[in-house]
This record gives sequence, structure tokens and C-alpha cells, in this order.
Amino acid sequence: MNKFLSALALAALGFCQAHAGDASIPPPAAQGPATGLADSAALRATVFGTPPQDIAPLPDKVPLLEMDLDLPWRRPIPAVFWFDKRLRVWLSAQEKPAPLAIVISGTGSDGNTAKLATLRAVLYGAGYHVLTMPSPTFPGFIVSASSTGVAGDLTQDGKDLYAAMGVIIAHLPRKVKITDIDVLGYSLGGANAAIVKSIDEKEHKLNIHRVVMINPPVSLFSTVGRLDKLFARSIGNGDAGIERFYQQLYSELANLYRASDRVELDEDFLLGAAASVLKTDAQFSAAIALTFRIALTNVFFAGDLYSGAGVVVDPKHPPRVGDSLDEISRRLRTKTFAEYFTRIFAPYYLKRRPGSSVESLVAENRLDVIGDQLRGNADYYAQTNSDDLILDKAELDWLRQTLGARIVVYDHGGHLGNLGDRQQVADMLEMLAGRWQGGSR
Amino acid sequence: MMRVGSGWRPLAAGVAFIALGGCASQVVEFHRLPPDTPAADNAADIAKMQRLAAAAALAQKARAPDPTEGAAAAEVPAPVTPAEAPPMKTYDPWGEVNRFTYRFNARFDEALFLPVANSYRRLPSPMRTGVHNFFGNIAEIDSFINYTLQGRLGRMVRSVGRFVINSTIGIGGLFDPATKMRLPNAPTGFGTTLAKWGMHPGPYLVIPFYGPSTLREGIGLAADYGTLYVIDPAWIYRGNLSWGLFVVHAVDERASIDFRYYASGSPFEYETIQFLYVRKLLIEDGGLHRQKPLPRTDPNVPAGE
Repeated sequence: MNKFLSALALAALGFCQAHAGDASIPPPAAQGPATGLADSAALRATVFGTPPQDIAPLPDKVPLLEMDLDLPWRRPIPAVFWFDKRLRVWLSAQEKPAPLAIVISGTGSDGNTAKLATLRAVLYGAGYHVLTMPSPTFPGFIVSASSTGVAGDLTQDGKDLYAAMGVIIAHLPRKVKITDIDVLGYSLGGANAAIVKSIDEKEHKLNIHRVVMINPPVSLFSTVGRLDKLFARSIGNGDAGIERFYQQLYSELANLYRASDRVELDEDFLLGAAASVLKTDAQFSAAIALTFRIALTNVFFAGDLYSGAGVVVDPKHPPRVGDSLDEISRRLRTKTFAEYFTRIFAPYYLKRRPGSSVESLVAENRLDVIGDQLRGNADYYAQTNSDDLILDKAELDWLRQTLGARIVVYDHGGHLGNLGDRQQVADMLEMLAGRWQGGSR
Repeated sequence: MMRVGSGWRPLAAGVAFIALGGCASQVVEFHRLPPDTPAADNAADIAKMQRLAAAAALAQKARAPDPTEGAAAAEVPAPVTPAEAPPMKTYDPWGEVNRFTYRFNARFDEALFLPVANSYRRLPSPMRTGVHNFFGNIAEIDSFINYTLQGRLGRMVRSVGRFVINSTIGIGGLFDPATKMRLPNAPTGFGTTLAKWGMHPGPYLVIPFYGPSTLREGIGLAADYGTLYVIDPAWIYRGNLSWGLFVVHAVDERASIDFRYYASGSPFEYETIQFLYVRKLLIEDGGLHRQKPLPRTDPNVPAGE
């Protein structure tokens, strides 16, 4: 195994965190603040993230302890998920008593992403114990910590997250002394964080103090609908579109490699290549859409397996350890978020929630299910960008009206494209400390 | 990539078996990991960005031929068209065994190899760099032989130059002054030689303790190890300390690879790595024949066959 594999995957997905593109492609001028829709600069920021020179000051060393937990409520583990038996989270503990910041990852991601590592570093540097957790849509969480196996329901995922947090905190090393608990999350993790606090307000098991949502969605279904459209427009639906995209990407990488004098197709080559391969808005859109779609693959597969829906897996003959998953993987690559909702998610939850309807499921998966808490409780905060592609203008306005002075909306950054930069971090720390004075940047 | 010999396998399998058999059931397990070093990592990212920017600026200018590659490098490479991309399906006739080996490697790595590598990562960085340089310098001998077999004389001379400089000024290979003298490391092996001679990658192959490969690359690895075993530079491969040094080499290689089995959480990890690995290999193969058009791909023949 080698670094090139992860780098190749990252380049293919457009997750070029070494910011090759920043170095060689100046982003086009944005249309101005508060566009409400992704422009060229927003797409580029989303793909390349915060340039390393703009990252907030970071500590030299951050201790890291991995915790693998057995959670009693998890469902029986399907054979092909044998490696996901335990929930894996990461703890960076201070030597002295300190507040605990729990950070939840974004869609489909584990608890140790590059974005989480940045947040972990700045929070640890600011004196917090830091616990980073996977998204409830990460397959490792679905298998080890979900009580349903069908991920994506804000309330149910929130309950599972909350229960997992309770077990984790009860099993922290004895020397870790906690003075307070705050929860943060980025992207879908932001919405998860707010739901977790709203549950805690009723149950009072953890006494979560403050929440900071970073680039949260407002309506899960309008967000995934937007991502489906992005995918259809930039790559095209069906096998033909995906094959065309793959052939194009392969030939461009092959040509760049042949034109270079490199001996090995290594990480540096791929990072440089990303700047050449990704040029147009359509290509950046494709990279973003593909990233989310790959995350969906695992959610779809697990949901199908657990719910017995039989869309890609025969419920009577589920795959065994060692079986080839080629055919299932081929079928999954054309599946959309809409199909996940209509064929797996909705049938599963409609059956278990008497009186519910498709419309009520959509409505329950909006942040306004906790609108009153967000409006009335001064401990909820949010950070987002006016050009975040997962929000439309109405949703951004709703966040502003609901949170008032407790939201900061930056002019640019796309989706998470300014996570970790000096201003975002400074504001986040002010919010967590309860010193936030409000204001737009 | 680490080079692992056959004698290592029974021993490691035994240790792995013991380690796997001893897993106790409890609510939580703790694993202490090497600390994150965010400030240094970010500084490295900034340096990398500057390096890439400089490379991009150079690429803007008229492209000068690589003097080590001979006059042919000045020719414009034949462009690869999307239609020439290999099919998305990969040639994997030994899939069942490969999947078993992949799972075995994952378990071995989690139970033994990775924890040892993580402990090794806690040693002072200069010490680890010295060990890494030392084994890298020994590998120059194999690179020199294979560049010769590939007929890439410029690179062969570079490899010899690196070996001489690092073995002398670099105190037996512990330091790498050659890179600072603009002779960067560019290792090669017999797998690449076979590719240069026109051999296809062949069936996908997961090698025990090692990881993804193909039949051709597997043969290459065996030949590389055999070459160094026969030459036995500095009595490393056949001397009294050979086993100890072999383990140090393997651990050093593992510690330099930022990968963890099933960190993706995905049951499709095998398919994903197989797909990426074979495409990487095919693109590199295309680079070995820069002036020739790629062979026409048959959409019915899986990639790599």
C-alpha cells in the first residue's frame, strides 16, 4: 500500500488539500457577497480548502488517543462489515481539567479527517480536550452505533450520536477531568451537533453547553437534491456518464504523466495534476458532486442491507465475507440521493412511524424541527458562507433570521472552503467561550 | 513499498495468530498514537505549495528536455485519448484468494505491524530519517541495475552518482546529500524493467504482508530481493544481523506509509484500491513509452490483462 493510493483517490475526488490549485490557478473574481449560490470562486474554495498559509496558528504537538468502543444497541453486524464492529473515535486530552469539545464529522466521513485534524489542533491549542467523532453517515458509525442501519434521519442519527457520546464520556481515561461540554460539527455534522444538544436539553445526561454549527445544511433533502442536480449536470446520470467522466480523467492524467519526466505517479504529481485537470466550473462541480456521491455508496449499501429493501442486495442472500462486490458496486455507482430516499429511507421510516408521510419525513429533516431552540437558546451558534453551495438564499435567510446575532456569514468560502482560516477559527473560539459579540464578516 | 522475504512469513503468521487469538472483549480499547504535529505539517504544506507553484511556473515556459532521458525526450508525446482509457473492470482472476489475503494483511497490520510502526514513529525524526536513507541507498544498487536493463543510461548514471555521494559524503547512506545536489531519488525495479520490455501488468495480486500488486510486479519484487540477496551489500542480506535488519527495514517502510486498512469503513475498499492501483500502474506504463501511442484497448478485456 502506498500514499499514492490515497492521493490518487483524493485527486480523483477533488479533495486536493495541499492546495495545488491555489498555487497555480488564480480563482476568478466572485460575483460579490451574498450570492446565495455557488460561483466559480466558491467551487474552487470548496475543492481546495483553506490555503495553508491562511490557517490559524497551530500547536506543535497534539496528543492522540484512539478509542474503540463496543456499543450494546448496535444491530447484528452484516458479514461484509466485519471490520466495523467497534465505534472508533479520537481523543486529545489536556493534562489539566479543561472543557471538552466534541467535534462531529461531515457527510460519510470518519472521525479523523484532515478538516477534523485542523479543528482538533486549534481547539487543543485553545485549551480544550478534543473528541472527534465520525458522521452518523460514515459506514463505521452505521454498523457500530446506529440503532437502525438506515442513516440520514436527523432525529434518529442525533439519538444514536447522543447515546454514543454518553458511553464515550463514561469511558474516558480517569485522568481526563472535564469542566464543561461543547459540541461542534461541520457540514451535516453541524446539523447533527445542534440536534444532539436539543436532545440533551430534554434528557440532561451530558449537560452540553454550547454548540457551533459550521456550514450546516438547513434541509437535508433540498441539499441532496441540489447535489443530485450538480452530479447530473456535471457528470451525467447512468453508467454512460460515469464511464465518460472516468475516461476523460484517466486520459488527462495519462497525458500529464507522459508529458512529465517523473518515474513514479506520486502524491506530488497528483496534486500538481489536479490544478491542470480541474479548470472549468463543470469540472469543479463534478469533483464536488462525485465526492458526495461516493459517500452515498456506503450509506445506500448499508441501508439496503439493514432494511432488507433488496435494491442492490438480495436480502435472502446477502454477500458473505470474501464474496466479490464488483457487481453490487457497479449497480451502486448510478444510484442517486433521491433513489436512496424513495427506495430505502422512506419505506423504512414510513413503516416505523405510524401516521407519517413522505412530506412529513422531508419536513422532519429540516433544522427547523429545532427552530424554537435555535431561536430562543443563546448557546447555539453557526458559521457559514454566503456562497455555500448546500444552501439556497431562502435557507441562508432562515438561518440568519433564526440565529440572529449568533450566526456569522462570511462573504466567500463556498462549502467549508475557509474552515481553519484565522478569522473562522477566531470567531469559533469566541462563540465557544461565550464571548461572541456578533457581526457579519 | 517494503520488501518482504519468504522466511519472514511463517514467523509473522505465528505472531499474528497469537495476537489475533488474544483479543479480549470489553467496552473500550485504547490505542495511544503518535502525536499530531500540526504546526510542522502546515509548514510542510506551505513549502509544498510553493514547490508546486514553482513547478507550475516552470511548466509555463518552453519545456526543456530531460538531459538524462536522451534526445528522444524532446519529442512531443503522443496524446492519450479518452477512448484509450482501460475499461473500468480490472483483470482479477484470483479475486477469491486476493480478498482472503487482503483481509489477512488487514488483520496482521492492525494486530502487529501498525502498532510496531507507530512505536517506531515515536523515535526521534533524525534517527528514522537516517534509517530510511540507509535502506534507500542500498536500493540504489537495484535501481542502477534496472535502469541499465531498461536502457535509460542517464538515470543509471544518476543512480550511481547518488550511491557514490551518499555512501561517502552521506556516511554510509545515513544522509542524503545527493538530493541537495539536485540528484533526487528515483528508485526503479525489475517490475518496471519488465514493463519497459513490454510486459502487461497481468492479473491483480495481493501479496501477503505486502499489499496490492500484479503478477508482473510480484515477479519484479522477487527479482529485486533476489538481486540484493546475491550481491549482499554490506552483508545485510546474508550476514548474522540480516533478520534484524530485515525487520527494521520493513517497519521503517510501514511507518512511512500513511494508510490504515479499513479506515474507509467501506466494504468496497478492496475494489477501490484494486481499481486505483491498476490505473496508476497503467499510467506509469504509458509513461515508459512516452513517444509511442498506447496500444488500443479492447473494452471487453479487463484492465491489466
